[in-house]
Amino acid sequence: MNNRNLLAGMTVAVLIAPSAAYADSFTMWARADDSTFMTKIVDAFNAGHADKVELQIVPTGELVQKYAVAAAGGSAPDALSLDLIYTPSFAAAGQLEDITDLAKSLPYFDALSKAHLSVGTYKDKIYGVPFSADASVLIWNKDLFAKAGLDPDKGPTNWAEIRADAEKVKTLGSDIYGFYFSGNCGGCNIFTFTPLIWASGGDIFADNGAKSTLNSPAVKDAVAFYQGMVKDGLVPEGAKTDPGANFFAAFATGKIGISPSGSFAIGALNSQYPNLHYGVTFLPGKDGNKSSFAGGDNFVVTKGTKKIELIKQFLDFAYSLPGQTLLAKNGSLPVRADIAKEALAGLDERYLIPAEAMNVGRTPYSVVFNDLINSPNGPWNTTLNNVFFSTPDAIDQGLADGQDAMQTIIDQAAQ
Amino acid sequence: MTAPLTRQRPPRTRAIMLMQHAAGMLVALLFLAPLAWTVLATFKTKAESGEPPLPPWPVHGVSVENYFSIGQFGSGLSHYVGNSLFVAISTAILTILVSVLAGYGFSRFRFPMKAMLFVLILATLMVPFQSILTPLFLILAALNLQNTLTGLVLIYVTLQLPFSVFMMRNAFDAVPNEIAEAARIDGVKGLRMLVFVLGPLVLPGVVSVGLIAFLNAWNEFLAALVFLTDQDKYTLPVLMTAVRSGRFGAIDWGALQAGVTVMMIPCIVLFVALQRYYIRGLTAGAVK
Amino acid sequence: MPAGRSRGLPANSPPAPGARVYRRKRRSWAGLIYVLPAVLLVLVFFVLPLCMTGWMSLHNWPLLGESRWIGLGNYIALWKDRGFWRALSFTAYYTVAATVGLLGVGMALALFVERPRPGVGFYRTAFFLPVVVGFASASLLWAWLANVDSGLFSPLMRMLGITESPYNLLATFTPAFWLVTGMVIWKMSGFYMVILMSGLQSVPTDFHEAARIDGATRTQRFLHITLPLIRKPIALALILSVTGSMLAFDQFYIILAGGPQNQTMTAVYWIFNQSFVSFRLGYGAALSVVLLAILLVLSVIQLRLLRDREDGR
Repeated sequence: MNNRNLLAGMTVAVLIAPSAAYADSFTMWARADDSTFMTKIVDAFNAGHADKVELQIVPTGELVQKYAVAAAGGSAPDALSLDLIYTPSFAAAGQLEDITDLAKSLPYFDALSKAHLSVGTYKDKIYGVPFSADASVLIWNKDLFAKAGLDPDKGPTNWAEIRADAEKVKTLGSDIYGFYFSGNCGGCNIFTFTPLIWASGGDIFADNGAKSTLNSPAVKDAVAFYQGMVKDGLVPEGAKTDPGANFFAAFATGKIGISPSGSFAIGALNSQYPNLHYGVTFLPGKDGNKSSFAGGDNFVVTKGTKKIELIKQFLDFAYSLPGQTLLAKNGSLPVRADIAKEALAGLDERYLIPAEAMNVGRTPYSVVFNDLINSPNGPWNTTLNNVFFSTPDAIDQGLADGQDAMQTIIDQAAQ
Repeated sequence: MTAPLTRQRPPRTRAIMLMQHAAGMLVALLFLAPLAWTVLATFKTKAESGEPPLPPWPVHGVSVENYFSIGQFGSGLSHYVGNSLFVAISTAILTILVSVLAGYGFSRFRFPMKAMLFVLILATLMVPFQSILTPLFLILAALNLQNTLTGLVLIYVTLQLPFSVFMMRNAFDAVPNEIAEAARIDGVKGLRMLVFVLGPLVLPGVVSVGLIAFLNAWNEFLAALVFLTDQDKYTLPVLMTAVRSGRFGAIDWGALQAGVTVMMIPCIVLFVALQRYYIRGLTAGAVK
Repeated sequence: MPAGRSRGLPANSPPAPGARVYRRKRRSWAGLIYVLPAVLLVLVFFVLPLCMTGWMSLHNWPLLGESRWIGLGNYIALWKDRGFWRALSFTAYYTVAATVGLLGVGMALALFVERPRPGVGFYRTAFFLPVVVGFASASLLWAWLANVDSGLFSPLMRMLGITESPYNLLATFTPAFWLVTGMVIWKMSGFYMVILMSGLQSVPTDFHEAARIDGATRTQRFLHITLPLIRKPIALALILSVTGSMLAFDQFYIILAGGPQNQTMTAVYWIFNQSFVSFRLGYGAALSVVLLAILLVLSVIQLRLLRDREDGR
């Protein structure tokens, strides 16, 4: 595989050699969450090209701030692998280069992830193209299921089944819990909790992000579902204050029956916890159905960069079959539907679930996504943290207040 | 309650003294326990450092793998220790230079706008520097110093100034006038007076100003976080946030404790070695 | 300016009682040269950014894109910003708790280590050691001790029989608040101990002897002799503690992230969020200006109160 990469790279290098008299480079940032596959793909590109990518890994929580501050100071990188949900706000700020032409010139443009492109588009222009993908799924611990007398190969397919299975698992011991979610993590919950709402026919936004519908029946049902499990002790105490640090780690301890998670978990569990037996299924709605959050990164280009030719070379490489295979092997789903199966060939077949979930996956669109959703102090996180861990009669008021708070921020941004 | 009674030191007084020492030891243990707990925890194995630290010492074998894993982040631990040392030492030296000069000036001279300038320097204490981070960034960018350790040092020195200048002025004030007067009669003036006559007398102040500057620069994290965009330039506290955010956000508590320990050790060693100066300097600053 | 006139004075002024003073402190530009580096640094890295903050506060100033003059718009919005006022009142609450704790514990420790006694060096070092550990390290350390899964406090509480099941100290306001306040007292009271100790040591012992002979109790002596005499160190400690607490950020950011549900959001944290999360730099600047004004007023009031009493005596 490495040889093939090298060969492909060298071919490209030879082809472009005449035009590039001397080696050039461009700078690119990526978040720490992506460090595994980002480092691999950049190394592979650099090994096969005279021109280089200078990759900088930035702590996930600080990427947006650091990029914005660097841009204000004129030291922004040429390109950035950006958590896709931030594409609208950076495009709205006028910080990104319009890459509509570049994107549409790609022969496989139609096969690129639709969810990525929908948030990569701002006022009918494309500012971000899909780079890596991560879909939310439900994972369960097969060992605990077996011990609890459940069928270890059958994951829950609706909320009642999740609840019933979690209760069974909880009976296994005082330090074993049925269900886990990060209760103080806006990013985790938009990724894994909203699909439960979507699959039940509801949503948290209406009018393309212009209206908050947090105080709606489907949301209330989903909140009550979580809250009931918390109240009955199926969820560990630490969930209340987990800012996402245990989003993956809690399940990996082997003491959690069921947890919503992401496709990244498959690679991480396989490599770090090879003895943990787990299954992967879709995030269900109240009465079945399925949905997913189509997450991952959009590749964006800083406005005014002079390295656009070089950047295109790198994109071509990342989108090639060797590139997509390399990404898939290191924790990202393929972003090209036409070669997804090929890129995933030979890998853990549990990857096929998130790959399919990606096709039904959705991504909320908002220019103030960070303020609303991801900020630990934003209304989404504080509202959910409040209602998940309170009493049933507090849900209505909590959601109503949360909807108001979200609407205020949306309206403020629109001014 | 008469004087002779206390002079005799009856058994009751001794009992009270013992009780005081018992209470003192207990409180001292409370103050030291969290530090000891952290240092001990770093020697646990990876598996054990995820468990509650009871007892605090390693049970399943002593291990230094936490130090290895912290050593593997980015360009290697020694690189970041180097960055932190550079920033902290430069800050200490510059702070000493600037504040000794200013303290001397404010204490021994009268000049136009003196009171106003003194208040101006002290006023730095009143402003949350978090709130002027963005303008600071723009200024550093204009000076071509953004994303450099030098820029960070200049900011840290400025943040140190109110305390340091205040303290050095008091230190110079505390020097009996006769000493300077005698030296002046011998023809010693200006910088020579400062370095050879007054300098040794204010040394405790100098040491504590330097020490405090070192510690604050070594420990500061928010400005370093915002101003340094290049991971090769991170200081230890920023590295620790990167460790804490980790892959998939899972906190490696063992590595984190190891990092915290590496950050704490120089502070503790320096303080224990220099505390006599330090506390005397701090005291001189507070009494006036 | 009278500067020029007074500069000529020393040479021919008569040797009056003030002579020593003017000879020591000649009015000249020499002093200015010594303080110049400090003043320059403060001008460039403090006054200038402060003025820019004032300027930015009158603009709609996103981090990216064009800024737009909006006059007092930010200040009007601020007036109606419930989050900011809630953060401010929380900060005031915390400031009172922390200051009482720091000065109380600091004073108790100072009284304990003031006079030489066997082991006093050890006590002073032990009480002071947490001060030299950075706020970031201390917060990370306590975040670890307090976390319910692999920390110390929850299993300790179970061992001591205080709770039966794992208890998440950070999940509700009251324990979370006192945990952080306790951390600050642990970390900082050694500092206040040293400041107050220096004051205590400067109180002449014969004052106490005289009062003791007059039959004053220990408490009376402390209240009526010691306290008035160490007014200045107390004033310094008070101002440092109030200012420091009003600007609290690191510990609430690292340990609690402002939670649960933003109930431990401090004023600086709110400003940080507006500036560096929402990138409303102009608005953040306006908030900074208001916070700065509040701090200045508080400091002036404290100085006044303590100085008035001094004059009254």
